[in-house]
Amino acid sequence: MPPRSQQATQKKAKPAVVSLGTTSLSQPISTSQKRFNPLTAYSLQGSSPSRGPPAKRRGGKEKIIEILDEDGEEERLHEHDDRLWVDIYEPITEADLVVHVRKVEDVRRWFTEAFEGGPSGKLRRYRRILALTGPSGTGKTATVQVLARQMGFDILEWRNAIGEASSSTWDPSFGINENYESTFAKFEAFLNRATSCRSIFPDTSLSPSVSSTSSQRGSNPPAPSPKHIILLEDLPNILHPQIQIQFHSALRAFIDTTSQSEFPVPIVIVLSDATMRGETRDELLTSGAGGYASSREKGGILDIRTVLPRDLLMGPYVRQIAFNPVAPTLMKKALTGLVDRHFSHTRTSSSLSHLVAPTKETIDTVIESANGDIRSAIMALQFTCIAGKKSKKSKNKKHDSGSTVLMESTTRRESSLALFHLVGKVMYNKRKGDPSNASATAKDIKKERALDATLMDPPRLPAHLKEHGRRASRVDVDLLYADSPIDSSLFSLYIHQNYTQFCNELDECQDIMDCLSWADSSGGEMWYQANPHRFHLLTLGTLHSLPSPVPRRSQKIFKPEYFEYLAKEKDAWEAVNDTRYWMTVHRGLGSAESLTTDTSRWSKLEVTLELGAVLKLKQTQAGRKWPGSEGLPPSHSLFSKLVFTSGEGKKGQQVDEDVVGDDDQTLAEDEVDIAVAKKFAGGENDGAGGDWLESDDIEEF
Amino acid sequence: MSLWVDQYRPKSLDGLHYHRGLSQRLKSLAASGDFPHLLFYGPSGAGKKTRIACTLREIFGPGVEKLKIDQRVFLSPSRRKLEINLVQSNYHIEITPSEAGNYDRVVIQEILKEIAQTQQVDLNAKQRFKVVVINEADSLSRDAQAALRRTMEKYMSNMRIILCANSTSRLIAPIKSRCLLMRVAAPDSEEMTSVLLHVAKKENLNMPEEAIEKIVEDSSGNLRKALLVMEALKMQSPNLTGSLSIAKPDWETYCHKVADLIVGEQSPARVMEVRTKFYELLSHCIPPTVILKTVAERVVERVDESLKADIMHWAAFYETRMRIGNKKIFHLEAWAVKVMSLYKHFFFDIDMSSFD
Repeated sequence: MPPRSQQATQKKAKPAVVSLGTTSLSQPISTSQKRFNPLTAYSLQGSSPSRGPPAKRRGGKEKIIEILDEDGEEERLHEHDDRLWVDIYEPITEADLVVHVRKVEDVRRWFTEAFEGGPSGKLRRYRRILALTGPSGTGKTATVQVLARQMGFDILEWRNAIGEASSSTWDPSFGINENYESTFAKFEAFLNRATSCRSIFPDTSLSPSVSSTSSQRGSNPPAPSPKHIILLEDLPNILHPQIQIQFHSALRAFIDTTSQSEFPVPIVIVLSDATMRGETRDELLTSGAGGYASSREKGGILDIRTVLPRDLLMGPYVRQIAFNPVAPTLMKKALTGLVDRHFSHTRTSSSLSHLVAPTKETIDTVIESANGDIRSAIMALQFTCIAGKKSKKSKNKKHDSGSTVLMESTTRRESSLALFHLVGKVMYNKRKGDPSNASATAKDIKKERALDATLMDPPRLPAHLKEHGRRASRVDVDLLYADSPIDSSLFSLYIHQNYTQFCNELDECQDIMDCLSWADSSGGEMWYQANPHRFHLLTLGTLHSLPSPVPRRSQKIFKPEYFEYLAKEKDAWEAVNDTRYWMTVHRGLGSAESLTTDTSRWSKLEVTLELGAVLKLKQTQAGRKWPGSEGLPPSHSLFSKLVFTSGEGKKGQQVDEDVVGDDDQTLAEDEVDIAVAKKFAGGENDGAGGDWLESDDIEEF
Repeated sequence: MSLWVDQYRPKSLDGLHYHRGLSQRLKSLAASGDFPHLLFYGPSGAGKKTRIACTLREIFGPGVEKLKIDQRVFLSPSRRKLEINLVQSNYHIEITPSEAGNYDRVVIQEILKEIAQTQQVDLNAKQRFKVVVINEADSLSRDAQAALRRTMEKYMSNMRIILCANSTSRLIAPIKSRCLLMRVAAPDSEEMTSVLLHVAKKENLNMPEEAIEKIVEDSSGNLRKALLVMEALKMQSPNLTGSLSIAKPDWETYCHKVADLIVGEQSPARVMEVRTKFYELLSHCIPPTVILKTVAERVVERVDESLKADIMHWAAFYETRMRIGNKKIFHLEAWAVKVMSLYKHFFFDIDMSSFD
């Protein structure tokens, strides 16, 4: 899976930025001109012998912030100034947080309720697990830490200490270590101890793998506070199905035990959203890895649904608070403040003259390329300051453009388009010369013009192809594909679900539907399973068929209903199977001998297509005349009931006019669902949003 | 309690009501020592499985009716467990490969190998070979068919295969050429009437003439359906008085309503409505091909003569795509939209010509 490994290397490589600071003077790099690959750039630097203290390699899932902490800690001894800005300017007070005030308030209220029990005092037992989700670098952990400081509770954090345990106890000459304790057993023990016992010395850790982080980080001496929380940021390997089951049961047990106790300890789970990259799966499929790999692939995403079992997630004990990417305005404020503080501070304290203050434009570029990730933004900022010094030495004029390119290439995070915007971009089918929106600002209009200027007009088509002539599209399909958070199959379902609202004429519908149908069936035997160009085909086909410009009638984007019906179909098949089984066994009992050949006669299809009416009659008859004497199993009623709903439930309404309204209502529910759950979406751009974006917001994302 | 269809199913080749020539041939085949692989094909409800069972009985005697049901676990190549119900006697085994989904090749291979490697131990057995009955053979995947082709030759000494399919068009040619093809045609109305009367007599029913006529007409050659309808009628009004109305299965009426929707209005909004109905049908396990066929037939009834050919052409077109593709709803909807568009254009064009 290329992108993930890429991410991983990036994460690991990032600490190398530290060393860049120390080595860049001795090693002039001629980077100001060319745009170079961020990965190779890092590895070049990383492999140089004069590298700073090596980043600690610990468990693969180690969070970057923790690595950075370690480095920061060690380097403080050598040279104070080499610490990362992320650590130096870690938010201490609530004002420093770049999180929206309301989000912080939500989290604080949860903690208050967890410790004090809310106004009625009874809420305490329901505030068991808080799940903080959102993209990385949006201040989830920082919020918890700031609040811990402010409200005075301790944080017990779990860490997968695989490296420590195995390096100290593993001896290749003796095969198996008797004292070996699986990581999960350790985790369970940690959870038990953390919930039932109170630490006597808040400074010391409960077990080797546990550290009380608040005391480490807090500058004030830790007051012995009775309150503490458990922070799970570094989860056990729950992608392994068995461990996932164990983990879920551990959480259930935790809720069971602590909801009864007097001073229960709450758990906070911090989870960074990982987005599934569409292309990955397509490529996997076509490269022959096959359905097996792809099904594993699907499960390989660490999101809230895998961490918390569904019943818990929906239950009263779990609260999920989703963080949005940091809004550009907030980030700008924070970054400017940081720069001001840093440079005023360095001027007074020591001679840190090898850094130059970044210009305003640089900060803007950083913000733009960070995609709402404050951590990445700060890192990028520090990096530019270091790189900027060097390039200033060479040529002043080229400094600006050079550093911008360099910075863009090195710091741009893999952007992912929110699902909503992806669908919007395609469905609104913007083409060159479209009139701009009524609500568009002057800047937007200017941008659109600039974009139009870069678009080439397509060549004129011959007369017999006239009807296929379109103006140049503003949608860049390649970019869309690269940024798409979903794979082409899901993408096609989204198009399918939503296209009708965007069409004026039936012919447009027909073209889109034909393109969807073709793309769905174009894999077949030629390619392994799916056509590798499906995404492009789908997008281009849809864009070609949609009217231009698409009329605005406040279209809303819905989630595909496909999966709902698929689940229903699965249940129905189970019922069919049950019925078949019942028929077999039942007949067997009737003939007293062993089973007769008749029994297997009924194939599934025959049961579904032909038996429905008779089963229904039998059901009513059995109920009326001989209740129970037929030995009707419950599965039988399940099946006949199913047939019943298909026949009457919907049919009655189907001809009526109100069904349309009804459908709309259910769709509207879905729509809320999509806004809240945001399963695939990267999140909206505005800090406040939990609601959904109006169509106008789509344009400039 | 068992259904009449099962209760009065003929047990021996002599008891069969129609296709006497076929029965005769099967009988002589069973008597000769040289029994080939067989492929029974024909529309559903024509009596294929009944004939297979009768033939087995003819070959092995009544012992073949002593069945047991085994639940067997197979491992797919990706180590997924597949649980499959096998119906078997001492002499034969029945498998429905569609239960194994995508992994039918594994299941087929395992079972065939196992059967082929065990000798018949029953000394009283009339034949030295065992029979494997493969139901719904036309749903076998290509892989499975290819696997079958080799095994059919290799294990000829102690195994025979009887395939049962609705149509031979989805079987690969090598398999067809290795089997003796047995076409079981749907019974004509006279034959159906005689069977219905036979069952009615056994049940001491006095079925009115016109009721039987109606049933026969309605079930269009599907004897199973006819018998089920008759039983349903009996259940509705035990003494068979008053007006007898034949209840169509729910899905069929539903499909007809969908067709009416398509013909009734042609607009993007209606497309959404039709889609919901298709989804509903699919989620009730109605096979997409059946949906397409039923709706198309109904639509054709309701439109102008000049459109009929086109509608059927597109139905066939999208049906092919549906077989290759994954998301059935796309193709169903694509067809529906196509028909709507055709229909609309038809009227639009008429309007234009009247203006001229």
